[in-house]
Amino acid sequence: MSTAPTATGDASADGPVPPPRASVPTDHVEVDAAGWPTGVPRAEPAVPVADVEQVPVRWDPAERRARASQSFWTAVVGVPAIFSVLRLGVEAGGELQTTLLLVANVGPVNLLAGFLTTAARLLSTGLVAVFALGAVLAVSVDRLPPGTLRRPLFARWADLTPAWVVVASFLLALLTWPLLYLPLLLPAFAAAFQLRPDRLHEWVLPRLSAIAALLAGYGWLMLPTLRDAVEQGSERLVLVLIVVPPLLALFIAGPLPGMVIRPLASLTEVAVLAMLVWAALPVISTPVLPLTVTTVGAENGPTEDVRGHVVTTDDVNMVILQERGGVRYVPVDLVRAQVLCPTEEELPRHRLRIHDFHIEDSLLEGMGRRVRPVHRIDAACRIPH
Amino acid sequence: MNVFSSQSRLRSVATTLAVALTLTLAAAAGCDSRKEPDLPTVQEKMRESHIYGQSKLRIGVATNEPLMGDLRNGQHVGFDVEIGRYIAASLGYEGEQQLEFVSAATEDRIPYLQGGTVDLVVSSFSMTEERKKLVSFAGPYFVTTQEVLVPVRLKDKIRTLEDLRDPAYKVCTTGGSTTEGELEKRQVKALVVKDVWDCVAGIRAGRYDAVSSDETILAGFLATYPKEFEIVDLPFGTSELLGIGVPIGDPALRDLVAYFLQKSYQQGRDGQASPWLTAYNRTLGPWLRAEKSQPQPLEVPKLVDFDDKAPRR
Repeated sequence: MSTAPTATGDASADGPVPPPRASVPTDHVEVDAAGWPTGVPRAEPAVPVADVEQVPVRWDPAERRARASQSFWTAVVGVPAIFSVLRLGVEAGGELQTTLLLVANVGPVNLLAGFLTTAARLLSTGLVAVFALGAVLAVSVDRLPPGTLRRPLFARWADLTPAWVVVASFLLALLTWPLLYLPLLLPAFAAAFQLRPDRLHEWVLPRLSAIAALLAGYGWLMLPTLRDAVEQGSERLVLVLIVVPPLLALFIAGPLPGMVIRPLASLTEVAVLAMLVWAALPVISTPVLPLTVTTVGAENGPTEDVRGHVVTTDDVNMVILQERGGVRYVPVDLVRAQVLCPTEEELPRHRLRIHDFHIEDSLLEGMGRRVRPVHRIDAACRIPH
Repeated sequence: MNVFSSQSRLRSVATTLAVALTLTLAAAAGCDSRKEPDLPTVQEKMRESHIYGQSKLRIGVATNEPLMGDLRNGQHVGFDVEIGRYIAASLGYEGEQQLEFVSAATEDRIPYLQGGTVDLVVSSFSMTEERKKLVSFAGPYFVTTQEVLVPVRLKDKIRTLEDLRDPAYKVCTTGGSTTEGELEKRQVKALVVKDVWDCVAGIRAGRYDAVSSDETILAGFLATYPKEFEIVDLPFGTSELLGIGVPIGDPALRDLVAYFLQKSYQQGRDGQASPWLTAYNRTLGPWLRAEKSQPQPLEVPKLVDFDDKAPRR
């Protein structure tokens, strides 16, 4: 195919051999920039020629972004779905028939919601770690030894991610992390946005006083807790976790020396992956259904306590997945009482509070406890079954 | 220029250190979050105690001390019984099928605990050094004083300890009780019987003239015969700490009972309706001369429980 003119109207009148295009008198026929006479229809190819000829050497940014967004949503929907199904298998005790019973009775929305409540913490931890490390590596890349071709993975991810996603991850972490670990968000935030103290004010004195004021506010918030931790003696880690991170936040922004970038990048990639796998295991094994103790027995007869998760209840039976394994079909008429029980994993490990918020509660949980302040564990949960 | 570059080097070293420390702290935090709690938990103590796995909890109570431990129409009632019910329910034993009250006379309390006839004794059991060698105590759950109950006809005649020493008056008390020792110490000659009930019946029959025992027990008889008796406030000067008796070989159970008493005490201090106060108001409250509140239990272990995260205020 060619874009050169083939037959033109008036030109044939000049002689048997068509003269070169340049010689066509312009006063007779008007031609466009490409030398195509105006008003003559062009034959357009079905497929744009340029695209066919340039077979995908490189994606253009828009397409790249579209693909990234596609994979992002695939991950957002796919990962919880896969995890949830895995959890059902674990919850059923590895029994195929029990897994099928659960699949038949646990709705996808319940499953997803259940997954999100247990995995939000893990998710936000992963994102915060990637963004903070990515930003630190990204500002350091110009110090990489010459000859390094690829930027570290986390740096590329951090560059690709819009700022609002980073902020949203930090917000999610703020709401879902236990209060004890929240101070760690300070250096992570300073790193992710490369906030240096000199951004506070250009003069030294106001800058120092601003830092002092911020630290004083933090101190006021934490001082009673620190005092309790000192009194309890064995809470050294808590002390370090509360005191050190705000100080680290002052120094964390800035480029790293060239020699540590590579090892740090590789090491943290492996560490974050290992952390995700390690933390995902308990998420998979966290029960999908709430734990209950059901008192079963005929009227005036002896009773029995069944400890397990209620899968479903219909007109005839209550189906209970027992804690020790196995499914029990209990006739509804025999159910005398039922109580909700906590699991031992929910037991607190510290006895410290930050202004009456338990340090192992997240902000969300702490607020929830204020809405329903009294929680009494039913004694039926205590005895073994 | 040189200064500038050395400053920048210093900065990058600081940054490296900060990054490394943050990562270390994050790792430590991660490990900490997966650690088993090192504080003793209620659940752990439950597993250590001898009642773990037992289908029934047996509590020794009195059956002849009105207001404290009494048997009315086959039902155990009284302050001690209510406290026993609260402790049993906290331990996971509720209802007729899981909780059995065993009648224990005053002198049976220690042998029953030693012999494993009962798991706990809640029966006006005074915590004394002597008894602590034989059984453990959780408590006190009540502080009482020693008083004397006299028939109305003698209320003006028996007013002092000196009157009690008068051989003309026959003073009655129970064997194996703290009162017996206390009277002996003050040279009051007392006739010893098995139950306070025997003393009261004896006074009504004219065999005795006064009975000495804990104020709580005497208040029970006053409640039974409000027109026939009166409590005389004598300066014995000793207070009795009533505790819950636990077998001496089961410190875990003692800790649990003390923990649950403390829980009730804490609820009362926070101005909530505590199980103790409910039991008190339903039984003893109206019959005691002075308003009482739950005493702080002693030697309460710090146990971790599920509701530790609940707001305190």
